[in-house]
Amino acid sequence: MNINFESFVEWDNSPFILFNNNGKIIYLNNASEILFGYVSKKELYDIAISYAPQNFGYKTTSLTLNYDSFTFHSITVGYENDEQISIRLYHTPMIKTIKKIDTNNFVLTDINILLEANISLFQTKNQNPLKLLTDQDLPPFKLDQNNFSKLLRKVLDSFSLSEYIDITLKLLIGEHIIIEDKRKPIVQLNIKSNKRCDNSDEEIALLASKNKIKTIFKDGYIALDIPFIT
Amino acid sequence: MDVFFTNSKTVQHIIKNFNLTKTLFVSSILIGDPNIGKKSLVRYIFPNTPIVSGCNQYEVTEALNRYDELIITDFEKLTNQDNLDFNNKRIIATANYMGNSEIIDNLFGFIYQMPSLLERPDDTRYITDKFTEEALDILMIKKEDIELQNIPLDLSKNSKSLKKSIYTYIVKYSMNSIDIENILYNYLLENIDGNDAYREYLGLYEKPLIKAGLKKFGSQLKLSQILGINRNTLRKKIHEHNID
Repeated sequence: MNINFESFVEWDNSPFILFNNNGKIIYLNNASEILFGYVSKKELYDIAISYAPQNFGYKTTSLTLNYDSFTFHSITVGYENDEQISIRLYHTPMIKTIKKIDTNNFVLTDINILLEANISLFQTKNQNPLKLLTDQDLPPFKLDQNNFSKLLRKVLDSFSLSEYIDITLKLLIGEHIIIEDKRKPIVQLNIKSNKRCDNSDEEIALLASKNKIKTIFKDGYIALDIPFIT
Repeated sequence: MDVFFTNSKTVQHIIKNFNLTKTLFVSSILIGDPNIGKKSLVRYIFPNTPIVSGCNQYEVTEALNRYDELIITDFEKLTNQDNLDFNNKRIIATANYMGNSEIIDNLFGFIYQMPSLLERPDDTRYITDKFTEEALDILMIKKEDIELQNIPLDLSKNSKSLKKSIYTYIVKYSMNSIDIENILYNYLLENIDGNDAYREYLGLYEKPLIKAGLKKFGSQLKLSQILGINRNTLRKKIHEHNID
């Protein structure tokens, strides 16, 4: 029996990449294409080389890899000849929150207004140079406005000592979030700087969860993945 | 009120924010010293919104049940802050101080700190002109009859003390000798007592007389001639009244 496994690999949720011995990509599946928005091919090639088995074959290693909102708990690296090496990354399972969040308080909102008002509030207290790149045509979507304002205030306050603040608001293409078993597009608000204060991260994550928002914290960086609920 | 004058960048930001969020269901609080125009500012932006005072807890609870948009003044005086629910309401509160910052942080999406008048020199000038005009009008005094350049302004209690200092200055400078006599009469009537009252209250007359004379004529010698008293007597009185 001759089975073509390529389409199974292509549509597998785990990223799979096949490199040649120069680090050039020979093949990548659909899940990897999104991942390459957040990590360079060199970084993944170097990981593949570092965790490759000593002899021909396949080796699975447990390690934690974080790329923006993606986290992986282990990888399998394998090669059957000297020309090609493959890497497969396994997603960390998402912890499902048991508590159901009431979306009745969510009202259609122009997020740009809330963002502008919060930046203006921040600027009454701080002088940091601030750049905003936003999508003004983003249609209104549902939010708990007061709660989201509190979240924005706390997120911005964590940048009060930063030398510069770059804010970007955009609709992420090709990524979704599951809310009540339905796929919702993601609007991402990310803020970058040279440094930020992480004292309120726990509180920020809690406030975000009340709005079904996923938070990504890094040095000098916060991203909020906001479900586009209409 | 048709306009709310301000040249303060912070207050302009606050007004901009209130205007941006006035259609949203967010709760905002404006915190700052008493008498700096918090209520006027909120009233200027929300002229038709029902208003209640935090001094009356029952009234606030009733109003929260009835309205989706509400102004609560003196929020710091409200004793049941931790039981309030502002969900899907537009609450605009004012407070003289923060109080329990955790509760405030939890209730309000937007927390504004309004600067006092000392930090808003342009606004203070504007308010001073307004109060001066008002005082001149009420006291029926012509602008040209009074020196208005050097009014000693008291900003210790913001607009309240500012208003008082302007009115007091204008009243004082518009008095004639009969008014002064009447003031002295009422004051003495209230206070005169003891066994040395003549000497004690003579200062009310002598002290301003010598101080004004010294300012006007410069030297003690000249002043003693003007007053028609001996130079040594004048020196003694200057010393007695601790005049610099």
